Amino acid sequence: MAGRAFRGALSRPHYFREIVTQMDTVGVGSLMIIVLTGVFTGGVLALQTSATLQTFGATGVTGSLVMTSMVREMGPVLASLMLAGRVGSAIAAELGSMVVSEQVDAMRALGTDPIQKLVWPRLLALMVMTPALTLVADIVGAVGGWVVATALMHVASSVYISSAKSALTYNDIIGGLIKPLVFGFIIAIVSCRAGLRTHGGTVGVGRSTTQAVVLSDILILASDFFLARIILAFK
Amino acid sequence: MAYDGRMILDEVSFIVNPGETKIVMGGSGMGKSTILKLVLGLIKPNAGSILIDGEDVTGSSERELVEVRKKIGMVFQDGALFDSLSVYENVGYRLFEQGLPEPEIEETVRRTLRFVNLERAMYMMPSELSGGMRRRVGIARALVGSPKLILFDEPTAGLDPPTARTILELAIKLRDLEGVSSIFVTHRVDDIKLLSSTFATIDESGEVAYQQENSRLCLVNTRFIMLKDSKVLFSGTDEEMWTSSEPYIQEFFRE
Repeated sequence: MAGRAFRGALSRPHYFREIVTQMDTVGVGSLMIIVLTGVFTGGVLALQTSATLQTFGATGVTGSLVMTSMVREMGPVLASLMLAGRVGSAIAAELGSMVVSEQVDAMRALGTDPIQKLVWPRLLALMVMTPALTLVADIVGAVGGWVVATALMHVASSVYISSAKSALTYNDIIGGLIKPLVFGFIIAIVSCRAGLRTHGGTVGVGRSTTQAVVLSDILILASDFFLARIILAFK
Repeated sequence: MAYDGRMILDEVSFIVNPGETKIVMGGSGMGKSTILKLVLGLIKPNAGSILIDGEDVTGSSERELVEVRKKIGMVFQDGALFDSLSVYENVGYRLFEQGLPEPEIEETVRRTLRFVNLERAMYMMPSELSGGMRRRVGIARALVGSPKLILFDEPTAGLDPPTARTILELAIKLRDLEGVSSIFVTHRVDDIKLLSSTFATIDESGEVAYQQENSRLCLVNTRFIMLKDSKVLFSGTDEEMWTSSEPYIQEFFRE
């Protein structure tokens, strides 16, 4: 399916309008949930790490710990899990309903390739927007961490910032963006496949939606492990 | 044609002549809709072949089928309109996909909607339409691009008699005035009787008039196929069907 989607992208028509609509739904539509995820994750990371670091009198490195955890793991994984829940379920439900009400058959009957018109715009939107939203989650997470560290744990603002800045390597940043690219791909393909293979009426739509989210989540977590191994190997 | 190991259609063979309406009858689950999906290439047969306009399309790829499907219009059971698009965008879908200029599309869509008496619904959304209107929009969408063959998948199922009649009259109008071939899948006896007894003409005032077939005039362009247990039980004209001694056919039309 992915192969057909990429091939479809090269041939006419290109469905630019569809792509823009999907980018808007996936990207702008998910901004709020991603900001909330980022801010609370960053906050709780700061809370937990600085509490532990206090015993060693090393709260100064809170910023560095929050930043690396956020960029390497929490940002990509949590943003993608949230997107799988919000966007993946919506894709599976929408495509599933279209299959059940014969709209996908109608589309084929009218000479349109559903892979090109339905799957490709969603795949592209998720592969562009998941890294972009991860970046937002990372930044907001660092800010959330900073608020908690300075306000609650009494870490000096400048200490937090300089420690956060010095912690990041290029490897972290690039790795932190490759991961969501892969996760976006997983969410799109798993959800579109679940939606397009819906059968059995409205009950089938519910089943496809659950399947899309559960399978996306598991594949994200499993592939995260292997991606982490690969990225660390390049360090 | 078998599905999940169950035989749906077996040795079903028929030809639709130009301008002819082929009515496919049979009980629910007898594979009537499957025939239409096979003709469109939405599903592939396990054996046998399908020819459209003289061209064998049985093994055609999705890309090759795009050209074939331009010759065919399909009316789905419940309209199958795209929820996110307006009536205008639904009917003009094929033309938008082909990238035609907007004024041209608007003209064609308006003309087609006039044919199904729904010009006023042009800018409505599918969710605002009644069941009968949805089907008429579905018919309009199938008509755009002047296909040679129209497939009707139980277009009157679940409609009240007057609305069902308007749908059938559209099919008759297409058959008698536009000369379009069609395959009409139904299990309703009322549909079968109306389609086999009524014809459309243009009267002196230029209006479409529907008349009953009488002894002087006999419809020759409507033929019937009755499916039972995945096989063709009967194939022929209505006169042959009414006088058939086959028990299932007698049971089917018993009043």
